[in-house]
Amino acid sequence: MTDPKGPMIPRERADYSAIVDRPPLKLPNNARIIFWTIVNYEVWDIGKPMARQLLPAPTGVALMPDVVHWAFHEYGMRVGCWRFFELFKKLGIKPTLSANARICEDYERVAAQARDDGWEFMGHAYEQGPIHKEPDQAAMIKRSMDIIEKFIGKRPVGWLGPGLTQTLETPDLLAAAGVKYIGDWVYDDEPTVIRTTKGPLVTLPYTIELNDIPMMMVQHHESDYLLKRTIDQFDRLYAESKDRAKICALAIHPYISGQPHRIKYLEAIYDYVNKHEGVLHWNGEQILDWYQPLADKQLRAAE
Amino acid sequence: MNFPKPNVGMLPNDRLAYSAIATRKPLKLPKDARMVVWTITNVEEWDPTQTMPRTVLTPPAGGSPMPDIPNWCWHEYGNRVGFWRLLKVYDEFKIPGVININGCALEAYPDIVKACVDRNWEFVGHGFTQRNMQKVENERDDIRISAEVIGRVTGKRPRGWLGPGLTETWETPDILAEEGYRYVADWVLDDQPVWLKTRGKPIVNIPYTQECNDVAMMLIQHHKASEFYERAIDQFEQIYKDAKESARVMAISVHPYIMGAPHRTKYFRKIFDKIRKKPGVLFWNGSQILDWFLKAGPQAPGS
Repeated sequence: MTDPKGPMIPRERADYSAIVDRPPLKLPNNARIIFWTIVNYEVWDIGKPMARQLLPAPTGVALMPDVVHWAFHEYGMRVGCWRFFELFKKLGIKPTLSANARICEDYERVAAQARDDGWEFMGHAYEQGPIHKEPDQAAMIKRSMDIIEKFIGKRPVGWLGPGLTQTLETPDLLAAAGVKYIGDWVYDDEPTVIRTTKGPLVTLPYTIELNDIPMMMVQHHESDYLLKRTIDQFDRLYAESKDRAKICALAIHPYISGQPHRIKYLEAIYDYVNKHEGVLHWNGEQILDWYQPLADKQLRAAE
Repeated sequence: MNFPKPNVGMLPNDRLAYSAIATRKPLKLPKDARMVVWTITNVEEWDPTQTMPRTVLTPPAGGSPMPDIPNWCWHEYGNRVGFWRLLKVYDEFKIPGVININGCALEAYPDIVKACVDRNWEFVGHGFTQRNMQKVENERDDIRISAEVIGRVTGKRPRGWLGPGLTETWETPDILAEEGYRYVADWVLDDQPVWLKTRGKPIVNIPYTQECNDVAMMLIQHHKASEFYERAIDQFEQIYKDAKESARVMAISVHPYIMGAPHRTKYFRKIFDKIRKKPGVLFWNGSQILDWFLKAGPQAPGS
């Protein structure tokens, strides 16, 4: 079934809405802010161009195979991710795992650890690469969801596109595959509801500001800037959360923040955040469980 | 040296001759003030069906996929949330606002327009869309429609113009003067306003800034957020010193999607906390600078 007008553009999925015009959201038990940690575990297929590059090839031309950056990523899955597991176990935090479904096959040891530690699995495509290049996006989405469902015994409710990429029809395809929330729309401090051909779909405020890919791989900041920026972001959102609930997301990758020279700044983030009253460490599914009834109420009121 | 002349329009030096600030007749501000600070907020609408003007996150393995939802959302955040943070700073320090706004954005973001009209901000033409002026289909139509939309929505036609990304063709100042604009800010070549010749009436250029501009500093040079404050203060202190004998103008230019991010706004606020009460400093909008220069500055060329 294809709409002759083509899929909706973003503005047709969501009207413009100013945050100051909305009634404030409230969290249970006078909590003020949700700190949402998202860990990204991926598979970089050696047969494709590598997703990110740290060391430009001599003469600047990327060559295939790119073993250097395959190995750069692989370090995260061999070593870096175990620094994450240790940290979150110690803190008692069960983050959201943005999971390429193929980790359940290629890195079963890692995926099983996340499952057994009670992390939330969020769909994140089959393997890493822009979704625009998928020959059959609907099939890839279904396959990814099915693999994770089989591995953890439950269908994931969330989805994040690889590199947050979407085509115009992606939200329709995701809703059709049973996805309840997406992280791709980083356009607000609050969850929102967007339109799809398969009914409403929730967006959660994921982050490309507190995200080690833009900060370390694109903007080339020093390692301690992850801590500094997170404190600045958290302070501001925490101050604003006096009047309305806020969500502070942090997105990390084991091959970046799991590096020995960076991990201490990640640890220090939680030391800082946890000194504050009213902070909930919720994952995406928990945020959805809180927000969904509020969204349903709004939708009913709008009808 | 003689350069080949364009068929339409003029070369820069045909519009204004070289002039050294040290040997010019001094400019005086009223009440013994030394300098003027004007602060410009750029509000744009990004067309989701075109390549995004800037990106914070590149897709895995590079390229520029279409659509580019993550970067569209990154910008949209500025208008849903970030603008309202900056507005609090302007209100707190009673800064007269200047909004550079794409013509299409007036319709897309009515709440922002209302907030600015309520505060008597100056609206400056900024292209009908956020597209290079060399790529718009008909430059004159674009310039004219931008003025018409602002006139219709706010009740006042704009006197000032800043090209999207400061882009111009050889003919832009001629068309601007013919379409009723009185000043332009694209020519960042002096600390004082200057006259530009056109084929009709001359037009004033007011000092804008590429240096104290969050696009250049945060998106291109990738400085950390605090550098925006540091640089603005360094810039301010030097211009204040330089302005002892002859008045100077300092500009600060921001975008809601950049300085309106929670982790950056405090550095923007700190600037005004430091300079707002300094004696001898006027906080004006572009139109006030123009009116002063028309009276206190040199005569228009050809008059």
